[in-house]
Amino acid sequence: MKTDLGRTRQISHIGGLVLTLLIICFTGSIQLADAADTYEIDTAHSMILFRAKHMGITYNYGRFNEFTGKLMIDETDISKSMVEFEVKTASVDTANEKRDQHLRSSDFFSAKQFPVITFKSTKVSMKDGKEDMLEITGDLELLGVKKSITVDVEITGKGKGRQGEPLIGFESIFTIKRGEFGMTYGAGAVSDDIRLIVTIEAKGK
Amino acid sequence: MLILKQLFFGLLLPAVVTGGILVFARSLTSKEDGENTGKKTDISRGWLIAGALSAGYIVGYFGLEGFSTLPFPPRQGIHWLCCLAIIGFIVGCFWHFSFSGRLIAQIVLSIAIPRLLLNSTFKYTWGQLEGIIWWVCLAAAIFIFWNLVQQSFTLLPSGASVPFVYFGLSGGTALVLALSGSLRLAQHSGILVALFAVSWIITIALQRDGNRQVFPPSVSPVVALLLAGLWMNGYFYEEVPAVSAILLAVSLLLAQVGQIEAIRRRGTRQSALIQIAAIALPVIIAIGIAVARSGLFAESSGY
Repeated sequence: MKTDLGRTRQISHIGGLVLTLLIICFTGSIQLADAADTYEIDTAHSMILFRAKHMGITYNYGRFNEFTGKLMIDETDISKSMVEFEVKTASVDTANEKRDQHLRSSDFFSAKQFPVITFKSTKVSMKDGKEDMLEITGDLELLGVKKSITVDVEITGKGKGRQGEPLIGFESIFTIKRGEFGMTYGAGAVSDDIRLIVTIEAKGK
Repeated sequence: MLILKQLFFGLLLPAVVTGGILVFARSLTSKEDGENTGKKTDISRGWLIAGALSAGYIVGYFGLEGFSTLPFPPRQGIHWLCCLAIIGFIVGCFWHFSFSGRLIAQIVLSIAIPRLLLNSTFKYTWGQLEGIIWWVCLAAAIFIFWNLVQQSFTLLPSGASVPFVYFGLSGGTALVLALSGSLRLAQHSGILVALFAVSWIITIALQRDGNRQVFPPSVSPVVALLLAGLWMNGYFYEEVPAVSAILLAVSLLLAQVGQIEAIRRRGTRQSALIQIAAIALPVIIAIGIAVARSGLFAESSGY
């Protein structure tokens, strides 16, 4: 009888210890999450533009109207930050419906086969120790081909929105070779080098 | 310069390769004919012709797409076309083995091809049930179409009419694809146009035996798989109208008009013309629908 009572007390001590540990872990994880701020891309104030040279003569510009993305910025340790993008290929817009149709076809983006272009960062670091410049390395997946790219990203501003929500802005200009992703159609008429201009405003969650 | 390059690699080079092998096949079989080797001649002729079409397409594929553009496993629907040419040739080589072997190969490929070629449609567009329904329907359609191709080789009058019909069918396919927005797929269909054109010319120029089939049954895997692959790419990944795709696929069914007694009685030449006209009709309607849908004659048609 005495032994049973002792065992019950022992169990309740262990239970209390487990509960305390759980509370510590839970609050700890909240603190960890706080250290990295999560932002969502505000598509109304963001833009993904691209330019290609036509017949080696002039630059033609286009944009993607639909995309989503998420950022996690850890100001205390920038290397723990993360960037994710998803761009809908069918939303390509060059201000000419016929050309957009052609761009959506398998000659270029093959929008029905590959509905999204994705980017996921693998490494984020400060660029040359400058506070407003980042160097982001990540996997860009286009036409089912995944390639690692490194881009310079300028932090264009930080502040608060109308409802007091944190805002952050970025811009990155970089060039990719479309042929490396298997988009080889029309070589000669459309340049292999495609310059991307990505300008992002993200809202804190 | 770009157009010249595409014409050379997409039309001329495949035609030269196929034409070369066909002439070689013709010389080989006429030599064997003299030695009375019978069935052996038909078998070697069969795989040589299947090889000629397959090799011509593969040369055209790499000419248009470049040598580094065949990843394995293929990523895009177009990449599968090259694999289909190879698979078609391999199956064609064993076509004479046994009826059950042929049937199993036909069933397995009819089931596998839609799943492989339309991988991203299964992944992104269709739900599980919808995917299964489409898969079953497409497998059945490929199986039926393959048999139609095989039948057309015997139903159409021997001589130049068989390659001519396929020349028209692949030409119609190229036009429908170009009008539906994919010039790249249209160029691939253009390779087939060149291959059938050269087969047609060689048949007219060299065929002495009027009763011999131009395309033996072992050629059917190459022809059926490539055409089915082009149509599936066009309908599911481009904007080919459903009616146009169906009309192109069923056009060969009209080769059966040659079986009607009243048409048979009109003599070989007239009945061949009626058969060709009957097959051409759905192809022309398919092109017409694609033209109407493309807005080709609209004010802002170009860019």
